[in-house]
Amino acid sequence: MADATTEAARGAAGTGKPLAVKIAGLRKSFDGRTVLGGIDLDVPAGKIVSIIGQSGGGKTTLMRCVNLLELPDGGTITINGEPICGNGAVTCKDLPKLRQRVGMVFQRFNLFPHLTAVENVILAQMHAASVPEREAVERAVKLLTRVGLAHRAMAYPDQMSGGEQQRVAIARALALGPTVLLFDEPTSALDPESTGEVLTVMRELAKDGMTMILVTHELPFAREVSDWVVFIDGGRIVEQGTAADLFDHPREARTIAYVSRHAAPA
Amino acid sequence: MPSLSSLFQVPWGDYAGSLGGGLLRTLAYTLASFAGAAVVGLGLALMRLSRLRIVRIPAGIYTEIFKNVPLLAIIFVTYFGLPSLGIRFDVFVAGVLSLVLFYAAYLSEIFRAAIAGIHPGQNEAAQALGLGRVTTFGRVVLPQALRLALPGTNTMFVDLLKSTSLLVTISAAELMTQAQLIASETFRALEVYLVIAAIYFVVCYPVSQCLLWLERTIQAGVPLSLGRRRRLRLAKALLEGKA
Repeated sequence: MADATTEAARGAAGTGKPLAVKIAGLRKSFDGRTVLGGIDLDVPAGKIVSIIGQSGGGKTTLMRCVNLLELPDGGTITINGEPICGNGAVTCKDLPKLRQRVGMVFQRFNLFPHLTAVENVILAQMHAASVPEREAVERAVKLLTRVGLAHRAMAYPDQMSGGEQQRVAIARALALGPTVLLFDEPTSALDPESTGEVLTVMRELAKDGMTMILVTHELPFAREVSDWVVFIDGGRIVEQGTAADLFDHPREARTIAYVSRHAAPA
Repeated sequence: MPSLSSLFQVPWGDYAGSLGGGLLRTLAYTLASFAGAAVVGLGLALMRLSRLRIVRIPAGIYTEIFKNVPLLAIIFVTYFGLPSLGIRFDVFVAGVLSLVLFYAAYLSEIFRAAIAGIHPGQNEAAQALGLGRVTTFGRVVLPQALRLALPGTNTMFVDLLKSTSLLVTISAAELMTQAQLIASETFRALEVYLVIAAIYFVVCYPVSQCLLWLERTIQAGVPLSLGRRRRLRLAKALLEGKA
């Protein structure tokens, strides 16, 4: 069964596009507790893959392995053709460079509270990517405008709503020109109105062809934007398929139970 | 009950020079000791936050020792004790060294708590943006930790300024030593020490008020560095369509 779904994944993914992220046999445990028990997943460039499942099922850990915030115990991850880790060791030569190519947006935003919105977007450009100051400021202003927050550029994070903070966080991740964006439950800490704002920005990104991996409990949104949906439970991929397949015709008992519980009409 | 005029009989004009010199000395001790204690304290704080026990433990032992020994004992050991081992410091060096050893222990506690108080998500966000360890510390953790450490550090600064008066015991030529000299010449201890206490107050009070102002200014998010001001000006100009 697992092999069949992997085949299906290759079938659906194999649209001739190069792979942005290829994960094979990924394993991770914390203090002897297995969190990821052998994950295989292909993310073609320009596609959006959503990872859904219960809390504690390993979704966030999987995501954090992709930019090596967590070092996997085994298996390989390949980003744009470059193997970044294998058998529990980092093989990526330039970790900062990798992280500039793989942007991340956190559940709790994690903006830098001592800097204004525009400075949050400037910082890594200048100090990680060595972008000249003027160019960094120009790009920051452009990106804040793109996420609809030009008027909040001079505000500090604690003066902004959750939705505004998360949009600044998206601008901050975009500033380094990533080829893949990771979203770790980007709307879980937000009220419905703020959630709407953030999803609008993400929808725009999807339209522009950004490759995205999204961990979410927002099943209606996952269904709307995802090219591929993966259901994870107990550290393994239980089932995967197109959004329509997975939400309308789930086959595994656990998927059926999860989807019917969470997919109440939005 | 003596009248006010009988209380103030010391010819203060004659002592203005020695008081001024003493005050400058006091400030020199304060600034040199504080700078040293801040550097050593930050180093100790970082050591105590290390993952390695071998780094963490010595810093912990140092802090506990110097926090639990009187400053006066440290001053006596450095100035009167060490010469018997052939280690001789001039009085300024001995004074500064004692104050640095003592206050580094306290500042390290303040700095450690401040650094540990930064949310781990900050480190993660910085890493996820490709910032290296040193840049993450310098640009993300330290600026936030400084804000947290400022109130405690300011208190320590004023405390240190007052503690320089203990250096009277090694005749350090600072304010209190001058006071002692004047008192022994004039036999008017009450008057002399009241005036000296007033001088300490007149120096310390504005300093602590200034530090409070600095605290509030930084807390309010007013950018103090030239680089930040320049970037914010540029961003503003771009937003208003002028650049």
